[in-house]
Amino acid sequence: MATHSLTLPPTRESVADIRVGDIVYLTGDIVVTGGLPAHKRIVEYLDAGKELPVEMGGVFIHLPHMVEENPDGGWTIHYVNPTTSTRFNNFLPRFVRDLDLHILGGKGGVNEETAQAMEQQGCIYVSLLGGGSPIMSEGIKEVRQVEWREFPAHFRLSRLRVENFGPLTVGVDAHGGSIYETLSEQARGRLPEILAQLDKRRAEAAGA
Amino acid sequence: MIEEALIQEVTADLYSAALRRVPDDTKAALAAARDRETSENARATLDLMLRSTVLAEKKDTFVCSDNGFPIYFVEIGGRAHWQGDLKGAITRGFNELVDTISPPLLKHVANPLTNERGGPGKDMPAINVDLIGDADYIDITCIPKALGSGRFASIKTFISPSLADIEAYVMECIIDAGSQHCPPVIVGVGIGGNFDMTAKLASRATYREIGSINPEPVLAAMEERLTEAANATGFGPMGTGGETTALAVHIDYAFGHGYTPVAVCFNCWINRRAKARIYNDGRVERIF
Repeated sequence: MATHSLTLPPTRESVADIRVGDIVYLTGDIVVTGGLPAHKRIVEYLDAGKELPVEMGGVFIHLPHMVEENPDGGWTIHYVNPTTSTRFNNFLPRFVRDLDLHILGGKGGVNEETAQAMEQQGCIYVSLLGGGSPIMSEGIKEVRQVEWREFPAHFRLSRLRVENFGPLTVGVDAHGGSIYETLSEQARGRLPEILAQLDKRRAEAAGA
Repeated sequence: MIEEALIQEVTADLYSAALRRVPDDTKAALAAARDRETSENARATLDLMLRSTVLAEKKDTFVCSDNGFPIYFVEIGGRAHWQGDLKGAITRGFNELVDTISPPLLKHVANPLTNERGGPGKDMPAINVDLIGDADYIDITCIPKALGSGRFASIKTFISPSLADIEAYVMECIIDAGSQHCPPVIVGVGIGGNFDMTAKLASRATYREIGSINPEPVLAAMEERLTEAANATGFGPMGTGGETTALAVHIDYAFGHGYTPVAVCFNCWINRRAKARIYNDGRVERIF
């Protein structure tokens, strides 16, 4: 398990040495959203060949964020915390390719098709601590841009400046390694043995 | 006499407290799991979780950005005396807090017919009522249920299942949720009754104190072996590997018919819940 401090924007090369299980800290700009409406709108932009209102910079994180506009026009960020990426699985292979992502993040992982797209693209998936709002929020230094303001705060597409944002656990690397697939297969593989053990323990309990 | 205004105040306090403070039983279970874990990454993740609980309290802020689906579980003692509109008091207490709480809440409550976000809304917050014997108090438990854990609840109706059938189903649900529901989780299992009762039994089982012994010996043994089985899957803290996937499995049951619904639901690792007991004389005791 290695620890990497990455300066953003990332490239295919800058994430190439990172492996599943490594720890990553990010410094630079990240693009975030927590919502389905933002995902749908990104698709509309991609379909129409329109440029997105934020520069993606190769990083896209499923990160609901509570931001409020100040009277003077700046933004106050109250807190952030990740949401489950698997609910966006249908969007993600295309996003990885068409948004030129090298870091995708959230919690809970991504499906096999997304992991394959990530391998082709040279992209890693980083897992943030769910329920880690006080820690994750400390890494946010500035709200750079907030778009699609008609959406509730956490559904907007925002660009945030982060510093030593982490620790983030690498769940999928750019070489086809996915901790989520490995663990899921491992659990299913262990299931017959687990059920046999349950049978044994049940028989013991009944005999006791 | 328990006054309406007191119910309103307690309702607001409980939601605010649940969002900021991970209950003591959960912190103790996380710390114990941290000491047992042999995987370096899993230990580091559990340390991070414990740090998050401390920081949230220190900064008086939320542990998670998802303030959840608000559930109030109200248990009314047979000798409790209250005055006024209980439902109205709970709803007002909740709505007032949503408007005034600091930091502000994200709008997670939604109309399922339009996906429009924000409240107040129909049957919001959810109020679940039970009657408890001859007690001279009302217990209110607030459980903000986040998407990550709420999404993987499941129910299946069997015909006269064996314990082996039930346990196999529980394991199927645990493996389906896998890495996604912010493990280590508390697994709630309901067996028997009818459709809605079973779901309630499972949900209520998750609220039980971690480490408490099930009074039904058959279920106490089942809880112990299913907790071991859940942890043998290897999903680990945050689903990135380890020996701690469940902090506990809690099971409840009710007599039913030959058809036996089995419900399985989860609370994520922060296991948010806050409970207060309001006595007839107006005393309020925080249970957790």
